[in-house]
Amino acid sequence: MDEIMARTLSFGVSGVNGYPVHVEVFGISGIPGMEIIGLPDASVRESRDRVNAAIINSGKQMQPRRITINLAPADMKKEGPSFDLPIAVGVLIATGEILPDPELNIDTIALFGELSLDGLVQPIAGALPMVISAKENGIRDVILPEKNAKEVACIEGMNIMPVSHLRQVIGYFEGRKAIQKQQQISYESLKNEISAGATDMALIKGQKGARRALEVAAAGGHNMIMIGVPGSGKTMLARCLPGILPPMSFEEALETTRIHSISGKLPPNSGLMVVRPFCAPHHNASVASLIGGGQEAKPGEVSLAHNGVLFLDELPEFSRSAMEALRQPLEDGIVSVSRVRKQALYQSSFMLVAAMNPCPCGYYGSTRRVCRCTPQETRRYLDRISGPLLDRIDLQIEVDSVPVQEINATAPAESSAIVAARVNAARLIQLERYRGTGKHCNAQLNNAEVKRYCTPDAEAVRLLDAAVETMHLSMRAYQRILKVARTIADLEHSQMISSVHIAEAIQYRELDQKYWR
Amino acid sequence: MITDSSGYLYHAWLASASLPPVQAKQLLDEYRTPENVFHGFRTGHKPEGITPAGIRALEISSSDQNLAKLDSLLMQYHIRAFTALDPEYPDALLQMQEPPAVLFYQGNLQCMKRRLLAMVGSRAASYDGQKAAGRIARELSRKGIGIVSGMAGGIDSASHSGCIEGRSPTIAVTGCGLDIVYPAGNEKLRDSILKNNGLLLSEYAPGEKPIGWHFPFRNRIITGLAHALIVVEAKIRSGTMTSVQHALNQGKDVFVYPGDPASPYSEGNHQLLREGAIYFTTGEDILEDLGWLDNPEIIGQNSVCSGRMPPLSPEETVIFEILKPGRMSFEQIADRSGLSPAILMSTLTMLQIKGTVEALPGKQFQLKV
Repeated sequence: MDEIMARTLSFGVSGVNGYPVHVEVFGISGIPGMEIIGLPDASVRESRDRVNAAIINSGKQMQPRRITINLAPADMKKEGPSFDLPIAVGVLIATGEILPDPELNIDTIALFGELSLDGLVQPIAGALPMVISAKENGIRDVILPEKNAKEVACIEGMNIMPVSHLRQVIGYFEGRKAIQKQQQISYESLKNEISAGATDMALIKGQKGARRALEVAAAGGHNMIMIGVPGSGKTMLARCLPGILPPMSFEEALETTRIHSISGKLPPNSGLMVVRPFCAPHHNASVASLIGGGQEAKPGEVSLAHNGVLFLDELPEFSRSAMEALRQPLEDGIVSVSRVRKQALYQSSFMLVAAMNPCPCGYYGSTRRVCRCTPQETRRYLDRISGPLLDRIDLQIEVDSVPVQEINATAPAESSAIVAARVNAARLIQLERYRGTGKHCNAQLNNAEVKRYCTPDAEAVRLLDAAVETMHLSMRAYQRILKVARTIADLEHSQMISSVHIAEAIQYRELDQKYWR
Repeated sequence: MITDSSGYLYHAWLASASLPPVQAKQLLDEYRTPENVFHGFRTGHKPEGITPAGIRALEISSSDQNLAKLDSLLMQYHIRAFTALDPEYPDALLQMQEPPAVLFYQGNLQCMKRRLLAMVGSRAASYDGQKAAGRIARELSRKGIGIVSGMAGGIDSASHSGCIEGRSPTIAVTGCGLDIVYPAGNEKLRDSILKNNGLLLSEYAPGEKPIGWHFPFRNRIITGLAHALIVVEAKIRSGTMTSVQHALNQGKDVFVYPGDPASPYSEGNHQLLREGAIYFTTGEDILEDLGWLDNPEIIGQNSVCSGRMPPLSPEETVIFEILKPGRMSFEQIADRSGLSPAILMSTLTMLQIKGTVEALPGKQFQLKV
């Protein structure tokens, strides 16, 4: 019995999808050493030193053998430390340190986890897509790091076995001690557990106009831009949005958590994401960090904001190329990231919320401070925003700078929960209306669909025509007003779009009238 | 070989040497035409009273290269010129200090024969200031008065546009060669001035760049052409104040629009008013003070201020009453009216469409005058 072969099962991640990886370990007598093949990257290759130490610190011997480890399929790049655990188990079996319980079918137990030198099992990125892939491949039993257990606990029909030390895994394979199973957590119960995270609207004093605009934007899923003097509360308003958007469905939560999981952005011990993500990249963000990229074609901010809110503060300070790059994800809800070594498709259906000052110094139109900018400077500043990007933004509002005395005086405002209920009701009306069309909110309508679904009554048409005439609105603005008016009517549970709805919607084209003329 | 395709090459030659106006005038008095000055200078005759620096400047501008450039610019931009000795030169300018020896122009010279008023103010003007400038210029223009200004941004542009809307020609005096549009982006205004029978004037030769000191200096021509000066918005230290100085030196009246006392944009206005400038709020005030009310040539009719109000709904009336004391922000209106934001927004739109209320930057609203 000079040569022994062992095979364990693990999973890798490509894009947002997992795929099975068979870890084959072959031990033969010869000069002691360990070689890993199957396109491992540096972190996989370093695995041998971690495995070596972890085995010894778990009370087993590292037999002096020549060991070859193959990660099959051999033509896909393997990355990350998640193969530590299957390699360690494979080595122990191949060197005869573990005599596996004959009742176990080793080939059908998925293993992943990073090992530290003392044998502790550390959390990894991408646990969720790996477990989903396991389920798709008919695998039930999964051994994974304890801190990843909650993340995957919502998936039905799985036998999840969280472990914290290599010793537990050894005990399990020797048939000495079972591992305690992770309880399945229903998505509904998770939703009730936490709904904090977003700023509550009750904290915003005054700003009645902006609050209303925020509610309309949330109700129709409309992109929105806010313009206002520094300190008028644009960022705080934007941070309220996740709290008033309807809760994510289970599918949405899976999609979003998957992307966060492979990016390693999930904090340890966190479950499926329930609150919609809120991503606020700084304005010096590169195109690759926004859209996705790097050698391994990692997802960018637009994908991390999938099903949530992408907030771009100081929009004109973003580079032209960054703004242009947002067009594809805004249009299609998906981005394709291509690099020489890898390419991936990531979902990126988000609500865009942008904020900006009215001019370079910030005080144009303020009654309290003088604007120091020349008209040319202001013009140039506004012109930095790409037209096609502006085209995809339905609501444009100005944010009033609320005076201090008013902030103190007003009674507590409506809380997010109350607003969210109204938003949710409006969304349900939309879901019903667009059933079977693949759309789920008013913001997604194209021009033909606007014609079909957003039909105002005769008086409203007259009003809109008059507005286009007197307020110099463009044809483009016309379409946007109809869409937003549809949302306003939905908020009132009204079938018809009447002139009141149109008139309100016109106020959300403020910037067309005053700034981009 | 020198080619003079336009007939104004020697005007441009003389102007491009940038002699002090008094010295240039002296040369003209001696030789009568710019062409004679050039040939006299070429034949080695040293004119008297010209400083060595002036001689050097004339030599530099006599280079073949400069002459060829001037010739092509004059042709390309259809720039014409006249001197202080020509009959088209306005008498008003001859009476002031340092009258320009040569003036270049594009457009209609006849508009200098009208009653003219100068309107000036800051380039970085407030929204209100620009609105007021447009309104005053329009009103005066309807009474047949031409507005003279400097074609800069802000108040200048608003005044020119207002004059054009009121159907009288407007005159712009620029601080650079007429081939250059300054500030860049003002092409639309320049074209519309010319299309509406207006006039562009400059004492600078074609190709002359807009240099900082040109502007306060050309202000003397703006005030010189006009019967009186109207200041719409001025900060305390500003180019507008040099215009006021020129107007006073030339013995012209200075009318000052009051503006909001709290606004830093009109600090200069109030200082001028304290120092005794004439207060006015409408064009009619000015006409009354100048004794021009009897002016028979009234162009167009007063269409806007008919005084009739469209009927208002109850909510609209509430907001109309709230806005009566002055402009207010959305939040203030919401507080005072007690209307829900949704209703308030739609009501404001209705009022905007009826022409009763206008929206201002900074989410403010006010009644339209």
